[in-house]
Amino acid sequence: MSKGYRKYFKKKIFWFIITFIVAVMLNFFLPRMMPGDPVNAILSKTLGNTTDAAAIQKQYEVYQQAFGLDKSLPEQFLIFCKNAIRGDFGLSFSQYPRSVSDIISSSIGWTLALQIPAIIVGWILGNVLGAVAAYRRKIWDKVVMPVSLFFSAVPAFGAAVVLLVIFGITLKWAPVNGAYDPGMIPNFSWEFISSVIRHYQLPFFSIVLISIGGQAVGMRSMSIYELNADYVKYSRFLGIKDKKIVRYVFRNAMLPQVTGLAMSIGSSVGGALVAETIFSYPGLGSTMYKAITASDYPLISATTLIITVMVLIASFLLDIIYAFIDPRVKAAQFD
Amino acid sequence: MKKILALVLAVAMLLSVAAAGAETVTTLPRNKTLYHGGWQYGSIAAWNPLHSNSNNSMAISANPRGSRTLVWETAYMYNALDGKLYGLLAEDGYEWNEDMTQLTFGVKAAAKWNDGTAVTADDVVATWEAWKKLDGYNGTYAGYAPYIANIEAADGKVVISLVTNDEGKPVNPLLVYDYLSGTYILQKAWLDSMFEKHGGDAKAVAEDTCSEKDVPYSGPYTFYFDNDQLTVLVRDDNYWGQDESMWGKLPVAKYQAHTIYSGNDASLVAFKEGQIDVNQQFVSNIQDLWEKDGLAISTYMDEAPYGVCATMPTAWFNMEVPVLQVKEVRKAIAMAVDYDTIIANAMTNQSPSFADVPRSVMNPTDGEQALLDHDAIQPYQWDATDDLDTRIEKAKALLDEAGIVDTDGDGYREYNGEKVSLKSCCPNGWTDWQAAMEVVAAAGEKIGLDITTNYPEWDIYQTVFTAASQTEYDIFMWSPAGAAPSSPWARVRGLMSSEYIGLNSNWSGNFGHWSNERADEIIAAIPLAATEEEQKALYTEATILYLDEVPSFSLMYRPESFYAVNETVWTNFVSQDLNAELAAEGKPQIPPLDLIDGYGIAGQYYIELVE
Amino acid sequence: MKNILKSCLHSPRFMTGFILFIILLGIALFYPLFHPGNPLQMIGQNSFVEPGTYLSLYDANTVNLNGKTSTFIMDDAAVNRADSNISEADRQTMLAYLAAAGVDVSHLDTSHENLDSLVTLWQENYDSSKKVEGYTTSAKKRDLRTLNSRLLAALNAGEQTLLTKNGDEEVRTAVANNAYVRSNQVANVINLPLGTDNFGRDMMKELAAAIGTSLIIGLIAGTIATILGLVIGLLSGYLGGIVDDILMFVCNVFTVIPGFVLLILIYYSVGQEARGVTTCAIVIGITSWVWTARSVRSQVISLRNRDHVNLSKLSGHSLVRIIVTDILPYIASYVVMAFILQVSSGILAEAQLSLLGLGPKTTTTPTLGLMMNWAMLYNAHTQGYWWAYFPVIAVIALTSFSLNLMNTGLDQVFNPTLRD
Repeated sequence: MSKGYRKYFKKKIFWFIITFIVAVMLNFFLPRMMPGDPVNAILSKTLGNTTDAAAIQKQYEVYQQAFGLDKSLPEQFLIFCKNAIRGDFGLSFSQYPRSVSDIISSSIGWTLALQIPAIIVGWILGNVLGAVAAYRRKIWDKVVMPVSLFFSAVPAFGAAVVLLVIFGITLKWAPVNGAYDPGMIPNFSWEFISSVIRHYQLPFFSIVLISIGGQAVGMRSMSIYELNADYVKYSRFLGIKDKKIVRYVFRNAMLPQVTGLAMSIGSSVGGALVAETIFSYPGLGSTMYKAITASDYPLISATTLIITVMVLIASFLLDIIYAFIDPRVKAAQFD
Repeated sequence: MKKILALVLAVAMLLSVAAAGAETVTTLPRNKTLYHGGWQYGSIAAWNPLHSNSNNSMAISANPRGSRTLVWETAYMYNALDGKLYGLLAEDGYEWNEDMTQLTFGVKAAAKWNDGTAVTADDVVATWEAWKKLDGYNGTYAGYAPYIANIEAADGKVVISLVTNDEGKPVNPLLVYDYLSGTYILQKAWLDSMFEKHGGDAKAVAEDTCSEKDVPYSGPYTFYFDNDQLTVLVRDDNYWGQDESMWGKLPVAKYQAHTIYSGNDASLVAFKEGQIDVNQQFVSNIQDLWEKDGLAISTYMDEAPYGVCATMPTAWFNMEVPVLQVKEVRKAIAMAVDYDTIIANAMTNQSPSFADVPRSVMNPTDGEQALLDHDAIQPYQWDATDDLDTRIEKAKALLDEAGIVDTDGDGYREYNGEKVSLKSCCPNGWTDWQAAMEVVAAAGEKIGLDITTNYPEWDIYQTVFTAASQTEYDIFMWSPAGAAPSSPWARVRGLMSSEYIGLNSNWSGNFGHWSNERADEIIAAIPLAATEEEQKALYTEATILYLDEVPSFSLMYRPESFYAVNETVWTNFVSQDLNAELAAEGKPQIPPLDLIDGYGIAGQYYIELVE
Repeated sequence: MKNILKSCLHSPRFMTGFILFIILLGIALFYPLFHPGNPLQMIGQNSFVEPGTYLSLYDANTVNLNGKTSTFIMDDAAVNRADSNISEADRQTMLAYLAAAGVDVSHLDTSHENLDSLVTLWQENYDSSKKVEGYTTSAKKRDLRTLNSRLLAALNAGEQTLLTKNGDEEVRTAVANNAYVRSNQVANVINLPLGTDNFGRDMMKELAAAIGTSLIIGLIAGTIATILGLVIGLLSGYLGGIVDDILMFVCNVFTVIPGFVLLILIYYSVGQEARGVTTCAIVIGITSWVWTARSVRSQVISLRNRDHVNLSKLSGHSLVRIIVTDILPYIASYVVMAFILQVSSGILAEAQLSLLGLGPKTTTTPTLGLMMNWAMLYNAHTQGYWWAYFPVIAVIALTSFSLNLMNTGLDQVFNPTLRD
C-alpha cells in the first residue's frame, strides 16, 4: 500500500471516529431533552387502586432505579456508553420489561435484508436507465427522464401507500403486512421461505421505485457531461469504436455515482424506514416508529444510533472502495 | 441483471430466516386456531404471573373488570352484562357472615393444576401472602390492604376477613369482589420455590421473567410459541374444566394466537382479510366493512352502537384554575357542547347518544341504570330534552347571571377583568379524543369563551394530568372506571372522591381535584348500604350532585374493549342472537369481551367452524 | 439576465414545471378566495363523506311544497329506481339464498324483467329464523335481514307524501315520482369535490390551504438551508485553513448521520409545545444545508485562484466585496437551482415527519403532512377512502415534480452541454 493510500485511510478513520463520537452524544442527549416522566406511565399499569401515597412513592423509586433515572444526566451518559459497548442499551419504556437490545436484535435482520438489496437494486436500475437515457437521447430520454423525475418527486410513503392499495388491497397480488404469513412459525421450509418472499415484494419494490428516479436523473447528467467531454470527441475523431468509447464514458460517469450511493444511503434510509412502517415490516423502521409514538427514548436513542452506525460503516466502506477504483483520489490527497 | 436480482433475493431470504431464528415448528392449522387482534403490540417479555409489569397480554391480564383466564385463573369471573360473579376455581356462590366482615368460599373439587395436583384453599392463601411480600414492586397488596385484613384457610375453605372501622363495620366489602375476580390464584409450591430461588428477594421475584415458561397453571391453555411476530397458546387437553362442575367440555379452538402487527392500520387490513377472528380495535364506521366491502364481519349488535358501552370518556375541569371554580362556567361549557357531533364523529356512532341514555354517573348497561331514580335526576340532565341551540342560549344566560360577560366587546367574556382563555387537552394521536376536544373548543366559541385545543405528546400528558397538583391543562380528558364488581361505586369514587387530591401518580380518579364533603360521605356510605333502596337513593343523590356541580362531564359512551368478529373461519361468536338463545335456555348471557376476559371466556365453548 | 429568462421560456421542461407550479400556487391562493371560510371547520357530522354534490333534502322538499317542480316522463326512471334500490349484487344474493333454501330459481336471472318474480319468490320464502345452509353466520343473517328491510322499504315506496304542520293542521303533499327540482332551486347545496376527511372537514378547502402552508414550509426551510449552505460554503471555500477544517467537520457529521435521524432527534427534543409550522420549517432548514455547502465550497475553491479574484485581492478589496462581486455571480445559477431543490425536499421532509407523528403541532393550520397523518391514523387507505389520502400524495408529488422540472430546465439553460 502506498503512502498516499495510508494517509488517505488514516484521515478517513480519524473522521470516522470523531463523527461517531458526536453521533453517540447527539443520539443520547437530544431525545432526553424531551419533557415528560416515563416512569409515571409504567406505574399506571401496576398501581391498581392504590391510594396510599407512600406505596406509590416506593414503586416509583423502584422503577426510577431500574431505568437509571435517579442519577444525573452526565452520569447516565457514562453508564450508557459503558453499557452500550457491551451491546446493552438499557430497558425500553414502552415495551417494559423488554430490553432495548432484545427489541433491536429481533428487528435489525429484517431491515438489513430489506434495505440493502432494495437500495442496491434501485441504484443499479437507476444508473442503467440514466445511462441508456443519456446514450439514446431521443425517445428514451423523452420518456425516461420525466418519468424518473416524477418518481424521484413521489414521497416514499406515498409510493408505499399507492403500491399497498393497488397491488395489496385492490388486486390482492401480494400480502401487505408483516414479513411472513400470520400463524407461521419461522422454520427452514419452502412454505415459510415462499411466504417470506411474498411479503418481501411490496416493501422491496416501493423502496426500489423511489430510489430509481433520483439515480437515473443523476446518472443521465453525468453521462451526458462525459459524452461531451473532449476525450470522447478526440476518440471519435481517431475512429475508435463507439462501443469502446461508451464503456469508458460510463465507467467515468459511474465514479461520482458511487459516492452518490455512499451519501444516498444516509438520506434514503429515512424514506425506506417509512416504507417499513406502512407495510408493518418488522424492521428497525417500524421499531423506531413505535418508539417515537410511545416516546420511548432509550429505544429511540438506540435505533437512531444503530442506523447512524450502519450508515457510517457503509459510507466508510464505499470510501475505501472508491479510493481503489478511482486513482484520482490518491492524487487529490496531495492537492 | 436477473442473476443479480436472484442473488440479492437469496441473500435477503437467508438473512431474514437467520434473523427470525430457526425454530422447527410449522404453520398453525387455520381451522384449529382462533386469532385475536388488538391486544399485543410487541413481543412478550415475561411469563411470570407475579411480574410487576408484564406486557404479556394473552396470558397475564388480571383486573377486576374481567381477568384473562386462558392460562392462569381467578377465583371468580365477572360478568359485565349482569354484574354477577361466576365461580371459576371457586365454587359458585360465597357466604358472608352476619355483619359482612368475613367472606367464605370453597375451591372446586375438580380444580387441578397442570401437574395434576389439586387447587386448594392453601394456594389462595399463599397467593395473598405473596402479594404481601411483593408490596412496593406491585400495587396489588397496597391496593387491597386497606380493605382486606387477612385471608386464611379453614376446613378446606377460604376465609377472607375484612378491615373494619371503629364501629366494627367493614370499610368496603365491594372491593373484596374486585380482588376475587381481579387476581390470579397461583400454586403454593411454585410460589415457595420462587422465593427460595431468589433467596427471599422480593424485587428479584417481581422481575424474574420466567423465561423457561414453565410456571404451573390451571387454565385451559398454555404457552406454545412466541416471537416478535406471533404469540401462540395451545390447549391443554387435560384441562380440569372439562369436568361437569365447570364447563363440561374443552374450549373449541386448539390454539389461541395473536399476530403482532405494527399498528392499527396493519391490524385492520388483517382483520378484513380474515387473518384475525376476534378483533379488539376501534374501527371507524365499522358498518362500512359489511355494507360497502361486503365482508363477513359482524359485531355484538347489528345496529349502532354495535357493542356494549361500559365507560364514559370524560372531560375534567381543573379546579385549580380560578375561573373554573365558578360552577356556572363549568356548567355552561358542558351545556354548550355538541355531543351528537362528538358521538357521530369521534365514535362514528358506536355509542348511544345522551338522548338515548341520559347522562349520569352510570354506564349504559341495564344493571347500572336500574340503580337510579330517573325521574329525580331528569331536571339536572341538561341534554336529555333540550336541543343544542336552546342549550347554548341557556348556557349564555347562565354566564350572564354569574356576571361573566364581555365588557370590552372583543366577543369573549371576561372574568375579573381578564379574558377567559382555556386550553382543552388530550394526548396527541388519540384520534377520537382529539375530535371530541375540537368540539368542546367549538362550544367555547359559541358561548363567548376562548377555548383552544392542545395535544401534548402522551408522555407529557400522562405526567401532567396525574400529578399531585394540576398546573397546565384547564380541560382535559380521561375515562373513569368502567364495569367491575365494585362499579358503579368505583366510578362514583373516581369521579368525585377527594382522597385522590394531592396524590402523586394519580391514575385513579378525580384528576381535576374537585372536593365536596357530601360527595365523600356518599362514597363512604354506598358500600355499606343495607338495602337496595338505600343504595339507589345514594346513587341518585350522587348523580344529582355530579350533574349540578359538573366537576367533569362525560363526552360519549365507549366499550371497555372493542369487539368485532370475522366469520370466515369460525362462527357462532358471542352476539345478541347467541345471548338470546342462551337466555331462552336459562343460561347466563356472555359479555362481548372478545372471548377472553372475565365471563366472556365462556364464548370459547360455543364457537363453531363455518365449514 | 434577459437571455437567461428568454432561454428559460424556451425550455419546455422549465415551462412545464413552472406552469404546474403556478397551477398549484393558484389553487392555494385563489380557491380560498372563492370558497371562503375556515378550512378546518368540521362541517360534516360523519367522517369520510364521499366526494360529490349534496342537496339539502329539506330544501328540496320545500321546493316541492311550493309546487315549483318540473315534470319529466322518462322511460328508464322505473328501471333506474329499481336498480338503485335493489342492486345487481342484491339480486345475486337473493338468487343464491333462494337456491340454498331449496327453491327452484333456474328460470330466473338478475335482469330487470325477472325482478318482480324474484321479489315475489323472496317474500314467499325468506324467513329470518330458518336455518339455511351457508347462511348461519351472524354476518350472513344480518346481511339478509338488512336486504329484506331495504326491499320492504323499496316496495312500500310506491307513494310518498310529505307531512307538514301548519299550526295544528296537518297538510299532506304528494311527492310525484316524475317530479324533478333543479339544483339551483334548492337553497342549500354543498359541493364537496374531494369529500370530507375523518373530522368531517371539506377536503378540497383543507387541501388548498395545506398547499399554501406546505409551500411556506418549503420556502422557509429552503431559504434557511440555502443561506446557511451558501455562507458556510463560501467561508470554508474562500478562507480555507482551520476555518475550512472546522466547517467541513460539521459538514461531515451532518452527512453521515442520516438527515432524517437528525431531524427526528432535534425535532423530538424541541418538545411539542414549540413545534409550530415555523419551527418545523426551521428545523428542516438547519438539517439540510450540507449539500449546498459542499457544492458551493468546491466551486469557490476553483474560483478563488482565478485572475480576477487575485486582482481584487491585490487591490485591497474587503472580503465581503470580493465575495459579493467576484465570486457570487459565478455561482449564482447554482445557488438558484439548489434553492429550488431545497424547497422541494423541505416539503417532502415535513410530510414525512408528520406521517411519523412528529409534524407541526397545530390545530389551526392544515399542512399536507398532517392531512396525510390523519388519513393514515383513521386507516383511510385500507378502508378505501381514496379522497382522503390520494389527493394529498398527488399534490406533494406534483409540487416536488414541478420544482424538479424547473430545476432540470434551469440546468439545461445554465449548462449548455446538457441541452438536446
